[in-house]
Amino acid sequence: MRDLNLLIGLAMGLNLVALGSSRLPSIIRATALQGVLLGIMPLLLEHDFGWQVVAVAVATAIGKGVVIPGLLQRAMRAAHIEREVEPFIGFVPSLLLGAFGTIAALAVARSLPLLPEHAKSLLVPGALASMLTGFVLLIGRVKAISQVCGYLIFENGIYLFGLLLIGSTPLLVEAGVLLDLTVGIFVIGIIVDRIQRAFDSLDTRKLTVLRE
Amino acid sequence: MIAGPLLTLSFSALVLAALAGRRWPRTWLALTVAGSGVALAAALLVLFGTTDWEWRGTVAFGGELPHLRLDGLSAIFLALVGVLGGAGAVYAHEYWSDASHPTSAPRGRAWWSVLVLSMMLVLTIANGLHFLLAWESFAIAAFFLITLDSGARAVRSAGWLYLAASHAGTLALFAFFALLAERTGSWDLGPMRAQAGLQPLFWLAMLGFGVKAGLFPLHVWLPSAHANAPTHVSAIMSGAAIKMGVYGLVRFSGWLPVPVSAAWVLVIVGSLSALLGIAFAFAQGDLKRLLAYCSVENVGIILVGVGGALLAVADGDSPWGRLVLAGALFHVWNHGLFKGLLFFGAGSVLHATGTREMSRLGGLWRRLPWTAASFAIGCLAVAGLPPLNGFVSEWLVYLGLFDAVTSHGATAWAAIFAALMLGSAGALALASFVKAGSMVFLGAPRGRAAAQAHEAGRAMRGAMLLLAALCVGLGLAPTLVWRALARGVAAWHPAWTVAPVPGALQAIGGTQLALAMLLPAVGWFAWRKMHGRTARRALTWDCGFAAPTARMQYSSASFAGIASGWFRWILRPRLTLRRPRGLMPTRAFRLERIPETMLDLVIVPIGGLIMQTASGARRLQHGSLQAYILYVVAGLVALGAMVLGAGIR
Amino acid sequence: MMIVLSFVARLAWWLLLAPLLPGIINKVKAWVAGRRGPPVLQLYYDLARLWRKQVVMSTLASPAFIVGPAVAWAAVLGATLLVPLGPAAGATLSFRGDVVLMLYLLALARFATTWAAMETGSAFEGMGAAREVTYAVLAEAAMIAAMLTLAVQTGSVSLATMLAPSVGTSAVLLAAGLFTVLLVENCRVPFDDPATHLELTMIHEVMVLDHSGPPFAAILHGASMKLLLFAVLVTQSVLPMGTYSRTMASIVLLVGVLIVTVGVGIVESFMARFAFRRVPLLLTTSVLLCVFALLVAWQGAA
Repeated sequence: MRDLNLLIGLAMGLNLVALGSSRLPSIIRATALQGVLLGIMPLLLEHDFGWQVVAVAVATAIGKGVVIPGLLQRAMRAAHIEREVEPFIGFVPSLLLGAFGTIAALAVARSLPLLPEHAKSLLVPGALASMLTGFVLLIGRVKAISQVCGYLIFENGIYLFGLLLIGSTPLLVEAGVLLDLTVGIFVIGIIVDRIQRAFDSLDTRKLTVLRE
Repeated sequence: MIAGPLLTLSFSALVLAALAGRRWPRTWLALTVAGSGVALAAALLVLFGTTDWEWRGTVAFGGELPHLRLDGLSAIFLALVGVLGGAGAVYAHEYWSDASHPTSAPRGRAWWSVLVLSMMLVLTIANGLHFLLAWESFAIAAFFLITLDSGARAVRSAGWLYLAASHAGTLALFAFFALLAERTGSWDLGPMRAQAGLQPLFWLAMLGFGVKAGLFPLHVWLPSAHANAPTHVSAIMSGAAIKMGVYGLVRFSGWLPVPVSAAWVLVIVGSLSALLGIAFAFAQGDLKRLLAYCSVENVGIILVGVGGALLAVADGDSPWGRLVLAGALFHVWNHGLFKGLLFFGAGSVLHATGTREMSRLGGLWRRLPWTAASFAIGCLAVAGLPPLNGFVSEWLVYLGLFDAVTSHGATAWAAIFAALMLGSAGALALASFVKAGSMVFLGAPRGRAAAQAHEAGRAMRGAMLLLAALCVGLGLAPTLVWRALARGVAAWHPAWTVAPVPGALQAIGGTQLALAMLLPAVGWFAWRKMHGRTARRALTWDCGFAAPTARMQYSSASFAGIASGWFRWILRPRLTLRRPRGLMPTRAFRLERIPETMLDLVIVPIGGLIMQTASGARRLQHGSLQAYILYVVAGLVALGAMVLGAGIR
Repeated sequence: MMIVLSFVARLAWWLLLAPLLPGIINKVKAWVAGRRGPPVLQLYYDLARLWRKQVVMSTLASPAFIVGPAVAWAAVLGATLLVPLGPAAGATLSFRGDVVLMLYLLALARFATTWAAMETGSAFEGMGAAREVTYAVLAEAAMIAAMLTLAVQTGSVSLATMLAPSVGTSAVLLAAGLFTVLLVENCRVPFDDPATHLELTMIHEVMVLDHSGPPFAAILHGASMKLLLFAVLVTQSVLPMGTYSRTMASIVLLVGVLIVTVGVGIVESFMARFAFRRVPLLLTTSVLLCVFALLVAWQGAA
């Protein structure tokens, strides 16, 4: 339990890193690292190592930690953007929002009617905090790539919730979600590239021109 | 008990002073100072004695028998009113003299005595109806004092704003006292913690007294009133008058049963007041407005202490509550003293230069050495630095909060939040007063007015020196002060009866004393050693620029620039910018002004909405007789319908 | 007799050891850059030379220009006397709540230095002073959070007993947070670059631009004492000093201070000064690190 909480704590720290950094590569790296951490977690939760668990863990770690970030990095290079400039919600405010969100998640999780074996674990607060972080990134950032990272972090939060039910839901469901996500990111990567070529910009604010 | 005769003496002296004020300035001065001094003596007698003073009259006034009482809590506030009432009168004697203000000075003297007297009555009356009367006369006296200089438009509008806000608060108090009288069956005031049914009434008291105290969202009247009033009035308003609101909150939080949620609200609102008040203060360019906003901060600190004490009581009488409450009560004194001192200093600057704009001042230490020195002491005290008095009260509050955190209850969350906010607010207060002191007194004069300033006369200097000495003295004798504070704490909560001086406070007293000797000694040694033999004077180094001018100095807005950027979301600075254009640009400027954000963006729109609704209703009344007859008929029909409807059912 | 001796020894530690730290930092920087660098004792030579020099005062300055640095120096010295040197040695003066006195003595030093800086009416020194007092706002919040963390861990509010932290996540977070506070409070990279030559970008160095001779020596010495104070504080806030034996604790303290100092040097070698608009982000991070350390400590103690 202690090791798991440490990993979740690190993942929560990475949320804040993603919120506070202005450079896209560091957001992507934080997301990737969080993905790897999440991939390891099932190994700590399951006591009887089946080959299935190991396979899913490896797949998650590779998918979230290598494949998706790799795609994002390619899209970033193709689009020649390095930095988030002038976000809707500034970096300090979003960092503070994330921090207050994390504290609030800890406080809320204490008052939830959780199973006794989950009461001491950070799974629920971690999940809530990650989802909140994802929301803040989705709302507050301008560049499509950081929004994708926000979406990924949001998904990581859902994954953490899923770990609560690891005994009753097969990991295969999660694997399916992951597959969907990978395809989605792949598509976004392509679209980003196309948008960049067509409009010379990845600023989502400018996409509102297309609404008609 | 000798306090009774003393108070009678003091009140009659003040009544006489109010009557004499118009004609005989010297008599007025003597009577006011005597009245204040005697009241101070009565307060000290109660604080350092063991018994309270109480008196019930036998002749009804307004249908109620008079009931006065002076216990530890009201004595603390009474002592402050005594000091500031006397010192302010001395200051006003020169500052707002007949020679400089022939029309308004006589009025000012009379109202001053009325103000001091009604504040003293507010503090001693223990009857709801009479309390309201005294409260009203206090509010009106303050209004006439604020608008002494009624020729200026800004002064008049500040006065009206004050009056409107004050009456909005008084409205809540009317409801509060009326409901209290209705539920308890008597207008008599006293401890009634046992009656749990009275709990919700505390919210009304919080609203009513909160307006007067200048809690953050309710502070809208405070900056303009304090900035535009004559400076001796600003001093007593900031130092003592807003403390009447604090007194109300402390008094009734001690007498009434208080809902725990209200204690939380007090701590949170107090912390936010502290941080946001000082953030606004730091960004101001007007010296007196800066001081006024700083009062919002200090009231916040005091209310953190009061709210903390309430939480401690709810938490099973935790002993740390005693510390925060004592700290809060001590801060009532300290803030009154150093804020009075700072306002007196600001008044002396205004008197000498005719401006409150810090970007037109500078370099005044040479021409106003006494003012500069006492203002510097005020700056150190308000920033809460050792070895002055502000440090001791903030230290008591911090110690209580730290204890609350280690005690590990749910209240610790409030304590953590408050400690963090107070920490930031303290650092901002330091920044604000480095700015205020240095912009006004250091560097080179930024304008002709500043270059030709003259030092204040004996009376003004005397008042400043008295308050400065008290700031130093109270800081050096915290153990002595503790006895008085313990009386106040015991009056607030009988379970916390007179406690021995905490050992840590003795240690603080010792270090304060040591620092007070060591620091000036080191400074004096440095000055003697450096200056006496070897110092050489030269131009300030400006990286080799050949012709530095006074306008090149760092300005007040630039000094606060970084922090006002951080608080841009609430300060909403208005920027007027004219960029330099072309070769050899001639006119270019950047003007940043901090508006009254809460007033302009919150209160005024709400007021506008009410006005709109009201003027919609007003359309019904247009003077046409036919229409009025129609209203009457419609009303009758409606009444008939109601009666019939009821009858059928 | 023993009391006097121990007091003298303590004073010697703070007064004589402090100027070594900037020397070590510079040596580390030189070593990383592959230069020989100035001698480790350079600051001692500088102080000795400055002490003998004449004072030049701005024509605008009041006596506070000279008194300010002296008061600031004395205030920092007062603060150091409250900080214990290891669990066995304790502090010269210790009582409940001395931690707040330490923070406020450091604030007094800040007030005196910035006031003296403003004496000259120079725009440069205004800039430095404004930055100094403004960054302190967040640093102060971080310090309060850090001290609350220690208070929660040990249940004490006196420096002598509260600097006995527990190890674990909280200690790691606290170390990171306090180290950042050390960097900002002592005006080191990435907040300020003491080695730059452009006045517009400095904080501490530009504040003391007009000071010379012995007052300048007091400023430099006070700054080095403050650095030592923070290094001692960081070491004792993170390492469980109470578990070591008496001699071991002293050695650990010395090594810890050395590690912190070298750490400052390494940070300075590998990082550039941040652009001013990015400084608040880092400061907020340090506040959050300390706040989260507090929460973890809270969770642990509950």
